[in-house]
Amino acid sequence: MKIDDLEQMESEDLTTLPSAERRSFLKFGLAVTGMYLGGSVLSLCSAKNVYAEGVVPEVGKYPYSPHYTMVIREKFCIDCERCKEACVKTNHVPSYGFRTTILEKRRSLGGESFETTFMPVLCNHCNRPPCVRVCPTTATFKDEKTGIVRMNPPRCIGCKTCMTACPYNARYFKEETRAVDKCDFCFESRLSKGDTTTSCVEACPADVRVFGDLANPKSRVYQLVHSPDTMVWVLRPETGAMPNVFYINS
Amino acid sequence: MTFGVFLLSGAMLWASGDALVQEEYDEDTYGPKDPIVWEKPVQAVVFTHKIHTMDAGLECDSCHDDIFTMEAGAAAENDDFTMATLYDGGYCGTCHDGSTAFASNTRCTACHIGVRGNARLHGESAEGEHSE
Repeated sequence: MKIDDLEQMESEDLTTLPSAERRSFLKFGLAVTGMYLGGSVLSLCSAKNVYAEGVVPEVGKYPYSPHYTMVIREKFCIDCERCKEACVKTNHVPSYGFRTTILEKRRSLGGESFETTFMPVLCNHCNRPPCVRVCPTTATFKDEKTGIVRMNPPRCIGCKTCMTACPYNARYFKEETRAVDKCDFCFESRLSKGDTTTSCVEACPADVRVFGDLANPKSRVYQLVHSPDTMVWVLRPETGAMPNVFYINS
Repeated sequence: MTFGVFLLSGAMLWASGDALVQEEYDEDTYGPKDPIVWEKPVQAVVFTHKIHTMDAGLECDSCHDDIFTMEAGAAAENDDFTMATLYDGGYCGTCHDGSTAFASNTRCTACHIGVRGNARLHGESAEGEHSE
């Protein structure tokens, strides 16, 4: 284009902008600001008919069938670690990693005495699993039928993002397979072969771990979690991951 | 200088006060000082002579040789050395029945120190094999 042609063209700078246009732009900006401000003011008002949601799902509101769940009767754990040994053997877990482990809490009883509590931990098979959300290759996924958070090792690129995302430190990188490994409620090693329980549950001498289908009212997990006068808690509920490992003390 | 004397006398006073309170532990009177750790039938259960003899005032013949033989760990070789026997009043359950001492089916971790507790007792890191 030649300079003469350019001079003939209509200017696109602000001097040609009609004031109606400016006015409507400002109105739009004020409307957006008003919406935000209104929302903020509304959020300060108290809401009625709102109930605190517990960690135990309401009966009938289980997304999976069977909805596999583990209940941990925490105070009975004595850290004999037979569950760990059984898991290592069944799922070929190397010495540098774990699919399940036992944590320890100490509470002062006054003076020099302490009470120890052992806390078995494993993958919580969350209903909203942060690990699945962040996986770039869908190597880890939520089993559509059982709700088990499983791994497809050949798909794993070893980015370890899932390890960072997991609120429960339930994942480790397995050198042998060059993939992240985790608890799958013994799906590959046992459940898919017809077993009805996990190896850790089977090995526990103190009946600490209870495994079963929460969607089945006849299952022991259902009865433990839904029984009256029972305190049921989960680990790190604030993450909103909706874990499926429940802790009780009875 | 004055401060040093003050510190020294303070330390001496503290040490003597401590000695008055603490009775010397005598193995001949109270039994072996080191805790006994049972590793069968499950890992790991601790028994401390001091708590039972010096602190609780039990005599040697309260337990030896009727309930336990004097050889450390010998009871673990018996097939009936289980929690079920304890609930029926055998072994530790002789006293740990809920009336003489806390019942055997309560306060599990008072005696069951676990694999982690045992490792700590032996001065090892509880994480042990998991450290890279």
